[in-house]
Amino acid sequence: MIPSGIAPTEVTRILFQDFSLWMLLLFYAYAITAIAVFGFGVYVQVRKYRSGRPGAAFSWRQLATRLADTAKVIASHRALRRRDARTGRLHAFIFYGFTLLFIGTATITLQEDILGPLLGVNFWHGQFYLIFKLVLNFAGAGFIAGLTYMMYRRGWLRPPKLDYTRPDRTPEDADFSRERYRIEDWAFLWTLLLIGVTGFLLSGARMVWLQSEPAVWETRWWAPIGALVAAGLKGVGFTSEGAGALRMGLWWFHGVLALTFVALIPYTKAKHIVTAATSWLLKDPNALNHLPLGDLDADHIGYRTLGDVSSRYLVQADACTKCGRCHEACPARAAGYPLSPRDVILTLREQANALLGEVLPKPRAAACATPLIGLATGEYRPDTLWSCRQCGACTEICPVGVEHLPLINLLRRDMVDQGEMDSALQRTLGAIGKTGNCFNESRRKRPQWTRDLPFKIKDARKEPVEVLWFVGDYASFDPRSQKVSRAFARILHAAGIDFGILYEGETTAGNDVRRVGEEGLFQQLAEGNVETLSGCTFSRIVTTDPHSFNTLKNEYPDLGGSYQVSHASAYLKELLDAGRIAPARQLDFTVTYHDPCHLGRLNKGYDAPREVVAATGAKLVELPRSRDNSFCCGAGGGRVWVPDPPGTSKVSEIRAREAAEIEGLDVLVVNCPKCMTMLEDAVKTTGNERNFRVMELTELLAEALEADEAAPAPVPAEAHEP
Amino acid sequence: MKILVPVKRVASLDDEFELRDDGRDVDPDFCEFDLNEFDEYALETAVLIKESAPEGAVEVVVLTIGPDDADDTLRKALAKGADRAIRVDDADLGDADRVAIARAIAKVAEREEPGLVLCGAQSSDFGHAQTGMSVAALLGWPRVAVVSRLDYAPGTATATVERELEGGLVERLEVETPAVLTIQLGINTPRYASLRAIKQANAKAIESLAPADLGLSAGETGGAGALSRVRRVYVPERGKSEMIEGTPAQQAARLLEIIEEVQG
Repeated sequence: MIPSGIAPTEVTRILFQDFSLWMLLLFYAYAITAIAVFGFGVYVQVRKYRSGRPGAAFSWRQLATRLADTAKVIASHRALRRRDARTGRLHAFIFYGFTLLFIGTATITLQEDILGPLLGVNFWHGQFYLIFKLVLNFAGAGFIAGLTYMMYRRGWLRPPKLDYTRPDRTPEDADFSRERYRIEDWAFLWTLLLIGVTGFLLSGARMVWLQSEPAVWETRWWAPIGALVAAGLKGVGFTSEGAGALRMGLWWFHGVLALTFVALIPYTKAKHIVTAATSWLLKDPNALNHLPLGDLDADHIGYRTLGDVSSRYLVQADACTKCGRCHEACPARAAGYPLSPRDVILTLREQANALLGEVLPKPRAAACATPLIGLATGEYRPDTLWSCRQCGACTEICPVGVEHLPLINLLRRDMVDQGEMDSALQRTLGAIGKTGNCFNESRRKRPQWTRDLPFKIKDARKEPVEVLWFVGDYASFDPRSQKVSRAFARILHAAGIDFGILYEGETTAGNDVRRVGEEGLFQQLAEGNVETLSGCTFSRIVTTDPHSFNTLKNEYPDLGGSYQVSHASAYLKELLDAGRIAPARQLDFTVTYHDPCHLGRLNKGYDAPREVVAATGAKLVELPRSRDNSFCCGAGGGRVWVPDPPGTSKVSEIRAREAAEIEGLDVLVVNCPKCMTMLEDAVKTTGNERNFRVMELTELLAEALEADEAAPAPVPAEAHEP
Repeated sequence: MKILVPVKRVASLDDEFELRDDGRDVDPDFCEFDLNEFDEYALETAVLIKESAPEGAVEVVVLTIGPDDADDTLRKALAKGADRAIRVDDADLGDADRVAIARAIAKVAEREEPGLVLCGAQSSDFGHAQTGMSVAALLGWPRVAVVSRLDYAPGTATATVERELEGGLVERLEVETPAVLTIQLGINTPRYASLRAIKQANAKAIESLAPADLGLSAGETGGAGALSRVRRVYVPERGKSEMIEGTPAQQAARLLEIIEEVQG
């Protein structure tokens, strides 16, 4: 490794070689200042985060698991590679390059400023030094390659998600411009690139400068890129002396730039190096399916002012790198609503930075009293918050653990409390408060759908049952969904299942009431249902409604009701596996399956419905966006109760058109009464009524279970007419 | 200054219902109860006046006549911004008509001395539209019915009101206060009372009064104080109709048959 005749201790880099004392002092003064500015920045940021409210109790017992998970996610770049694999990989180049270079520099500091002077331990020479150089050359090359790709991506590829145009503002608004972010993005890339490139130039210049020293020159290929630069410099005529001068200039440029970068980390987007990891570490694994329990006795509820916001969201606001995955995934944004989840988090960041993150802090009480919602500059507009479907697409895809969904919900709670909402929504909430259902129907009418059944369903309030079927509002009152409910009832009856319903005793489970932000009404509904259920004897709950399923399973435990809850699709899969039901024939349909947000993304119920489809014999063609990337039907978050304003396309129509792209599609299979309502409508309004029909999974299975020869054709007959 | 808002707990019917045994009303088991929609607008009008005045200058008092079941209605009104609630419990309420109810409201108005009494234009269940006017008559105060706009600065001696007439006409009137106004739907957008606000309103006391506390004699309350009495509530038999088809001669023959049938 080391050429003969050279002492291993000579094979090293002499730091500050040929520096005069004043240079040395100047450098250390600058370095110490940079670290002090960095430290102060960290203090300012931490002070900002601590102005937030303490959030949900953080379990220290989980810390080890969380740390391990965070480390795994960072090391593998799993979250960053999702739906944008190339960018994720190139980010890994930057990340690993930066990390190795950082470790390298730290190693030199350790040797030179700590171990060497204090303990006399010197290891940075000889073979170790050569391997060190080689590794850092690769790291530097990867670092520069990654940065170059990111510049190419921003400047040339220009993916739409990196266009920061705000859908929630118009160019006339003072807070419309995202120019500062664009400048910062480029400054960030250029700074890092310059640090990387000058590092290699510096390395090459040093080699030419010290070409007469065999310990340097003979070992130069251990730093292959530096050696190539050296060859280039010699090629253009650099002498040892000229290279020495160049080395001195580059040394200062590189050093000052790198230290300046370090100093600025807490004040710029570079802080994501720390905040992204912290955000992921603090991430609530149930953020999608379990909203925080609101305190109804507090003087107000939800997020009204900056001082109400929990620290976790302040950290998340700083973790955001504006990557645009949430912006791309948001169904409301896609349909032209004034909402981008990215702007939701950036709005919080901007307010927090302006009021709590100042270097010289403003009086905290005044800053904390700043309203969050309104029409003024920097405030969340009610329209924006009401556009959200609470489908979780943003939160699920976020690579740094930002939880937009609960944040929007907490903001909505205040709007509901203030009565700031659409009048249609207000009427629906009023109706639910009065009748316990969103159809404003009398409680007595809830079980009327059972009248057409040839058998009587057990009343679970009066006799013990094995399976308690929580029917839900749409499945009880909506005429289209009532057919599905009857189909499900017939399947259970034919399979000999001991099941019952709550009849008039059931009220809406309240999932969407909660997602609207009416926390008080949700808690009342949940407490009512828990009380009713506590008087019944059953071993498990089954429901065809993913919304009821979600809240019963994940949110009722907070209100005293812990049950074994299954969605109908999972239950049917169980019955198929156990042989209690068996398809009598195989369906000759081409179908696609629309994952309902509340079953899929929120509860990872992706596989059971597909296995049920497979059991029917139908040929399943996946939608372009499926499973975790499923595109909401537009009904979530209470939007099913609010008419779409003129000028916006319907979220459901986007989805219907997506399905219509599938060649030879007979049936769009849905698995949620609300998806049924939205998509059946959208199939009509997009003119696809004759091309394919919408069926619930239960109906598809029911058709396969029937031994009926004269099965209905998958497509209305007139569709085949010219 | 006070604004008194008398409110009613109204019933809405199920599709299928049964009548009470005495045949004079619907069995309440088949009703859902809620705050009268017209009264929500009257209440919102009062709360808006309160909110436009300096803090503490205006007090909104809601009042209902009925049993303690009606407390929910008052709580909702408190949650929507009323400051105080009064319920007059009349044991003989079943037979009280609009005038008997108005007697109790008028007594409360005499006691509270409000600058305005704002009623809903009518109730959504019976729709008499008489209670507010009866209150004004009993008090001898100026009154305007079916108000669609109100301009009133608390403490001033007059209020300007508008009413919508046929043909898109608007009538503007100036009315001396204290006055009784009945408020039409659409005058504003009533606010939502969140369940949290209603729960917090549970902590506020509701003043419960007996007719005697107001100086009403037995002859002035309930059926005795009423000017009318419900004799019967019923679903009328569906009328029969028949389309007569065929040639003019056939039609004439069928018509003759029917005439003979009806004549018996």
